[in-house]
Amino acid sequence: MLQYLVKRILWIIPTTVGVLLFLFSMTHLLPGDPASVLLGPRATPEMVEALNRRLSLDQPIHVQLGRYIWSVLHGDLNESVWSRCTVSSLIMRALPYTVILTISSMGLAAFLGIILGALAANYRKTLLDRLVTVFSLIAVSVPDFVAACLLLLVFAVALGWFPVIGAGEAGDTADQVHHLILPCLALVIGWFGYIARLVRDTTLEVLDSDYVKTSRSFGAPMRYIAYKYALKNAIIPVVAVIGLGVGKLLGGAVFVEMIFNRPGIGKVITNAVYARDLPVVQGGVLIAALLFILANLVADLSYACFDPRIRYE
Amino acid sequence: MLALIREYGTNKGEKIEMAQEKTPFQLSRRWDGYKRRSHRRIKKLAQILQAIRREPRGLIGTSIMAIILICALFAPWIAPCDPYEQDIVNRFAAPSLRHLLGTDYVGRDILSRLIYGARVAAVVSIGAVGIAVIVGTLLGAIAAYSGGAVDYMILLIFDVIRSFPSVILILVLAAIVGPSLLNIILILAFTSFPAYGRVARAQTLSVKEEEYAVAARSLGAKTGRILRSHIIPNILTPIIVLAGMDLAIMIMYESGLSFLGVGVQPPTASWGIMLRQGYTYIGTSPLMIVWPAILLATTMLGCSLFAESLRGALNPRERKAGG
Amino acid sequence: MDERLLRARDLTVEYSTCRGIARAVDNVSFDIREGEVLGLVGESGCGKTTLGLSVMRLLPRTGKVVQGEILFKGRNLLNLAERIMNKEIRGKEIAMIIQDPLHALNPVFKIGTQITDVLRFHKDRGLSPHGKGVQLRNGAAKMLEEVGIADPAERLTDYPFQFSGGMNQRAMIAMAFICNPALLIADEPTTALDVTIEAQILELLKGLVERYGASVLYITHDLGVISEISDRVAVMYAGNIVEYAATTPLFEDPRHPYTEALLRCLPGVETQGKRLGTIPGRVPELTKLPKGCKFHPRCPYVKEICKERPPRLLEMASGRSIACFRYER
Repeated sequence: MLQYLVKRILWIIPTTVGVLLFLFSMTHLLPGDPASVLLGPRATPEMVEALNRRLSLDQPIHVQLGRYIWSVLHGDLNESVWSRCTVSSLIMRALPYTVILTISSMGLAAFLGIILGALAANYRKTLLDRLVTVFSLIAVSVPDFVAACLLLLVFAVALGWFPVIGAGEAGDTADQVHHLILPCLALVIGWFGYIARLVRDTTLEVLDSDYVKTSRSFGAPMRYIAYKYALKNAIIPVVAVIGLGVGKLLGGAVFVEMIFNRPGIGKVITNAVYARDLPVVQGGVLIAALLFILANLVADLSYACFDPRIRYE
Repeated sequence: MLALIREYGTNKGEKIEMAQEKTPFQLSRRWDGYKRRSHRRIKKLAQILQAIRREPRGLIGTSIMAIILICALFAPWIAPCDPYEQDIVNRFAAPSLRHLLGTDYVGRDILSRLIYGARVAAVVSIGAVGIAVIVGTLLGAIAAYSGGAVDYMILLIFDVIRSFPSVILILVLAAIVGPSLLNIILILAFTSFPAYGRVARAQTLSVKEEEYAVAARSLGAKTGRILRSHIIPNILTPIIVLAGMDLAIMIMYESGLSFLGVGVQPPTASWGIMLRQGYTYIGTSPLMIVWPAILLATTMLGCSLFAESLRGALNPRERKAGG
Repeated sequence: MDERLLRARDLTVEYSTCRGIARAVDNVSFDIREGEVLGLVGESGCGKTTLGLSVMRLLPRTGKVVQGEILFKGRNLLNLAERIMNKEIRGKEIAMIIQDPLHALNPVFKIGTQITDVLRFHKDRGLSPHGKGVQLRNGAAKMLEEVGIADPAERLTDYPFQFSGGMNQRAMIAMAFICNPALLIADEPTTALDVTIEAQILELLKGLVERYGASVLYITHDLGVISEISDRVAVMYAGNIVEYAATTPLFEDPRHPYTEALLRCLPGVETQGKRLGTIPGRVPELTKLPKGCKFHPRCPYVKEICKERPPRLLEMASGRSIACFRYER
């Protein structure tokens, strides 16, 4: 197990270096000299000069790259072009909103998906099964932003049950939860469909497998099989896709935060894209990528916990 | 020619062949082998189509995709109105005989814009998936076949691209290179080719060591031939299934990009743009957003169903008979 | 006094397939006495596995027992409630071991857990709550030792994929014998193993069967194994038992044409240097069975009557039963 852990963590390093390289090259691939690109259309010659010195942009490429990586490792992500805030502060302010949205959506979708998927498989071909199957199919086909718009239309605009914009008053948890519900639901729908389908298919496969037949032949009651055996075997693929899910949810969060005007990372990045604020874009994407890499790592390690075959490679 | 096709594979077809004059190539043995293989390929295609038709999922999926494709190809002839024609007086009109789905905020016919939107969806998804499949499969196969440093580097490239949440990567790239149809296709292909690469690599690795490939190698078959006759056909099945599912995702990304304003630009009719405009006027005219939403969801559903039935058709599952 | 442990009467099992109804077991009757090993032999698809599964009532969703009864110690297993089947019969009175033990064991649970689970299902009452875990584990370790696995206590925490095929099969055998069943159903337990391991497992089974006094329904297609392990043999073809006799008489003097043909196909001293025999024709599809005797299309002694009605399994004076018009008086 330890060996697997080490191997897995080590693979992150070249990947992260690759990510940094990619982001670094963004500034150099755009037309014009890097400083003007970074500073955008409002650049004055003095600002260009100052930035050149600060980021050693007159130095050879590998020095620049080294300097970039060094500053990133120290948490210095440059400054926003428009406001005078540092990119790091912008991101830190927005990060909690996105993390809360992602975690709650993932948790709710997984919870509902596992329960309904398992029920559908255990009572296959009944009405419940058909409903779950059809609903998951439709849920997966509706993109996050479409679901968000429709939810907004029905529950916020038409019925007025939920607020249309914002994330709620800081410090007032109930208000914040109230503002969280619709965005969270918008993301849950798509992921729930995926998980329910996955769990149902896996559970069906497990229930038809040889080892379940063996358990039955030794007298295991169906309830024991459903809960202990089938569940464990069925949860494994769900854990495996947690990383995939976080990626999907982070992407969906971009839309949902724009639509519901929630001040999260997605909104920060998108607004920076509109405003051509490259340092913010670079920093935001870096953080998003790091979150994603971390989520994948957690998913792989949890998967190894559940499925012993991976551990003893 | 049609008569020949109709009698494909029957004895009559062979008799007709005999009667006509043959070129030297046709008289050679390679022609026989080629004919036999084409026979088999067409038969297999017919079997696959039959399997798709048997399941209701496949039928629904294929029909939906066919409708969208027809809309895309024949938009100018199908659409009742000009999608760019504005009619400010009639903005936010309710559905009528003239405008079956109503009009948008500048009076354009929603139905026509939806039909023209199918063009963008079809071009982007097919283009992006096509490029991603070709590039990804080639790189994956090369990586698996070469091994060593080449394999490591290619795998690293795959993983770096996959480290970014797709939407964010697409968004940023679109912002950098600028919105245009070609750029979007290239960006979407760029974001998704690693998935194909990994599948192709995994399949090549397993097929490479399969007994029949080793046997072919030991008989002296050259690398190119092995790649062509043994490896590629075995890789193709999971790749095709993945591509089918990807079509839906590409359509979704394109709409998403247009929704955010960094995709195809107005006044071009794209479903994403229509959704965005509907969102802006969500209080005034809910229909502006509902119709594109329904169509987008239905199209994605159709693609997913089609891809699923394709998977079922290409991988027949064996059933165990009672002993 | 009826010392028959298991009596099956007129058992018929059908599967609904996409090509029609397949009758896998057709009016089969047989007995197993206490302490006896009955070998059930036939080609793939003849219905022997289905027979085994129906005794345990573990048929897949598509299968159904349409008629007949299976009396075990006087009770009709087909009428029992599922709950009672689980609690009293499966794993406790009747145990089953199957082919391909690697896939028969749950890959994500430890071997020890899977064995103690069997104990948990049946022998729970007898143990005190304190130290129950330890007692269960000890019981499992003791059983593993009996089936010949070295270092049983350490092996309890291993997973099935860490065991070899032979070890997995031993673990399954341990699970089968741990509650001292009266009847063991062994469905091709050695088919997936190497010949040397096969010999070891057979020896192990013979020893355990003797020690625990269990009866065995041994299902296989391997005539060599049957000759070694069974007391009596039932030969099956396309869902019917065609010959039913004690092992030695059957092998020395096969009567039914199918049994004759089967034995002729075995390589032996007499056939050295000559071409191996085959049985012409193919096993009929269970959805399209021929009228009359199912073997008649391939039988060298076929008569008119064979094509009209199926022969009944009749007992001869010698004590063996044959289903063939040649022997019907």
